[in-house]
Amino acid sequence: MKKQSKFVAGGVLLAGVVGYLMVTGMKDSMTYFLTPVELHQRVSANPAFAEQSGVRVGGRVVPGSVHFDQKTLDLRFTLVDIETGKTSFPVHYNGPLPDTFQEGRDVVVEGNYRPGGTFQASNVLTKCGSRYEAAESDFKGKQS
Amino acid sequence: MTQIGEVALWLALLVAGWGAALGFYGGRRGRGDLVLSAERSVYAVFGLLLTASAAIITAFLRSEFRYKYVAGYSNRELGLFYKITGLWAGQTGSLVFWALLLALFGSIVMFQNRRRNREFMPYVAGTVLTVLAFFMVVVVFASNPFQLMDFVPPDGRGLNPQLQNYWMTIHPPTLYLGFTCFTIPFAFAVSALLSGRLDTRWITTTRRWTLLAWFFLTCGIIFGMMWAYVELGWGGYWFWDPVENASLLPWLTGTAFLHSVMIQEKRGMLKMWNVLLVIGTFLLSIFATFLTRSGLIESVHSFAENTTIAYIFLGFLGTLILISAALVWWRRHAFAAENRLESFLSRETAFLVNNLVFVAAMFAVLWGTTFPLVSEGVFGQKIQVGPPFYNRVNIPLGLILLFLLGVGPVIAWRKATPRNLKRNFAGPLAAFLLVGVALRIAGITNVYALLTFALAAFSMTTIVVEFWKGTRARAKIEGEGVAPAFIHLVERNRRRYGGYVVHAGFIICFCGFAGKAFNTERQAALHPGESIVIPSAFGHSYQLTYQAMSWYPAPNMTKLVATVEVKRDGRMLGLLTPEKRAYKQREEVTSEVGIRRAWNEDLYLILAGVDRADEFMRGTNPQPVVTFKVLVNPLVPWIWLGGFIMAMGTLVALWPAAEAVRATARATAREPVPAQLPGLAGA
Repeated sequence: MKKQSKFVAGGVLLAGVVGYLMVTGMKDSMTYFLTPVELHQRVSANPAFAEQSGVRVGGRVVPGSVHFDQKTLDLRFTLVDIETGKTSFPVHYNGPLPDTFQEGRDVVVEGNYRPGGTFQASNVLTKCGSRYEAAESDFKGKQS
Repeated sequence: MTQIGEVALWLALLVAGWGAALGFYGGRRGRGDLVLSAERSVYAVFGLLLTASAAIITAFLRSEFRYKYVAGYSNRELGLFYKITGLWAGQTGSLVFWALLLALFGSIVMFQNRRRNREFMPYVAGTVLTVLAFFMVVVVFASNPFQLMDFVPPDGRGLNPQLQNYWMTIHPPTLYLGFTCFTIPFAFAVSALLSGRLDTRWITTTRRWTLLAWFFLTCGIIFGMMWAYVELGWGGYWFWDPVENASLLPWLTGTAFLHSVMIQEKRGMLKMWNVLLVIGTFLLSIFATFLTRSGLIESVHSFAENTTIAYIFLGFLGTLILISAALVWWRRHAFAAENRLESFLSRETAFLVNNLVFVAAMFAVLWGTTFPLVSEGVFGQKIQVGPPFYNRVNIPLGLILLFLLGVGPVIAWRKATPRNLKRNFAGPLAAFLLVGVALRIAGITNVYALLTFALAAFSMTTIVVEFWKGTRARAKIEGEGVAPAFIHLVERNRRRYGGYVVHAGFIICFCGFAGKAFNTERQAALHPGESIVIPSAFGHSYQLTYQAMSWYPAPNMTKLVATVEVKRDGRMLGLLTPEKRAYKQREEVTSEVGIRRAWNEDLYLILAGVDRADEFMRGTNPQPVVTFKVLVNPLVPWIWLGGFIMAMGTLVALWPAAEAVRATARATAREPVPAQLPGLAGA
């Protein structure tokens, strides 16, 4: 009987260690998933929020706002809220242009919102194509 | 003509529903005629789904763009190969494909067991048909591949460029084969619960199916990694992306199951645990299918797609969980263990810890993957967790597994004596210390990497010693040479030695993962004739010289190609030609990386940007400045090698032994014969 309880203790220990790793790991890598409007609300409610690392913002790339320097790989564009089309802010990113990145596309930027008002992105994600479903409207333009 | 496919889908739904009801009812009432009808329903559904799939492929081949699905994933210029694989290119088609595979496996199982396991088969048919009926409901009502548009576009949108890759066409079907294959052991577990026959019969009957499922799942995951590596163009192979995690979840519980059944077979323990594991694995397979195809988790609000499907799937999952839990509870008294754990130092404990670690890893990954949904539900705020979370939890767990992998197969059952421990672990422990100290002296300071390599040496030594001991003993007893003794040894104990081969592959994979700690990276904008120099962890120095840029039209796309000369330590290695491709239909650009592979490291070159590319293509900027990103990824080739070895090992374990085939043929009407034959267990 005593042995069984030793095994239970062992199992509990393992669960505890894993639980600890999970909790601390969560703290390190939690990122809020926001829309530009929500980000704006958060920052105006609590300016310190801007310095927090780890925000993911989903929005639309404003047509005509994209500047990409092919030499330095500096990418600058404006991201706007998809639903309202109003709240927007400039984004800066350094790195290769993501493959499916385009004006008018919906993208997710990951990084920090700088007090100056620019979003410094450490990552720009485009919508993964494998899950992209064409809407009927996508074909309308091609109707001859 | 192709509308016949839709009719077939409707009929498949009706037949599956009918057969499922008959299977369960007939099984309970002992009505052989009804059960026969249920079993025939499985064949019929397979035939109907084959028809529907053929209709979808035909619609692709004939470019029938009135179908929304075809228009969304094909265009006139698309190659024949990708038109055929259009069947699983998108959500709706791939659900049909999933069901088709399940119906195929179901039919095989019905045929194999037409005279065996009769007490199980009504419920197996019922379970398989229930799952099929569910998929048909989704396909017919929420995601119909035969949905017509009210106009016919002149051309389709074309297949997403990132999917126009060899690995991507083979990766989803392989994963699906794995997911669907796990339905068979699940169906047997359900029938064991319903019929009350909870001895090892359901496990031995489905052992091959479990191994086959594991084989496909492992291959599918590795193919996915290969695809990410060559196609996503950032030098990595695993993102901890929800979709990847989804495929890992059933793999983790499935692997745990493969191990824990051995405890039940040998010691009559963990009976309920095994049932729970196989149910969990199946549920996670369903979860994975739905997660990969609904886009529920990564969606920012506007990305949300077909959420109806998500709710149907969640409802189905919830129902399955409730029913399974109720069944297990109902039979809770039938799970009594025949033995108890006797000592901490025993094979039982090693297997038990192995199981706990796999399940813990599964929960951690599941938690991280679903956290955005949980946080949105609880706090009204979507919060994601990133790779640091997964790495933090899973690297230590992986190291424990690496250690157990060396311990489990050689430690004694029941209770290890000090003598047993010393005899089996002195050598491996020496290897552990030797490799650890040598690498530390060689300058490796990363603790996780050091531990990985040292534990790999530990576990690999136990495997080599096992093979060596077995071969030597056999050579002595049978008077054979070393080579024939080795072959016969493996042949006669396929499951055991196949398992060791899988373990060896797993160890090699882990060394490959640890290589990530030593990546090097450079980025530069070059004029033609200029170079980048990059060192590698193995002490080489690569010099990459940008020579020229060219562009040319290709079918369906325009290619921009950079020619880069590669030298290693001053010696010419050849050319790399990373590309940018502009696809016509989707106005999209993709990068094709250039990879120079060696046995120990990959040189990985990304064409990051072409300055004034439009002027270059018009001819006014003949020598454009090009920005390259270059990485040296040490040990990445070992991941693919390890994956290949794992697959081969599984096949060794899976392959029917000659004797077993004959014995099964003799005994078709009677008992199934265990695949494993008594061997020279560690003599």
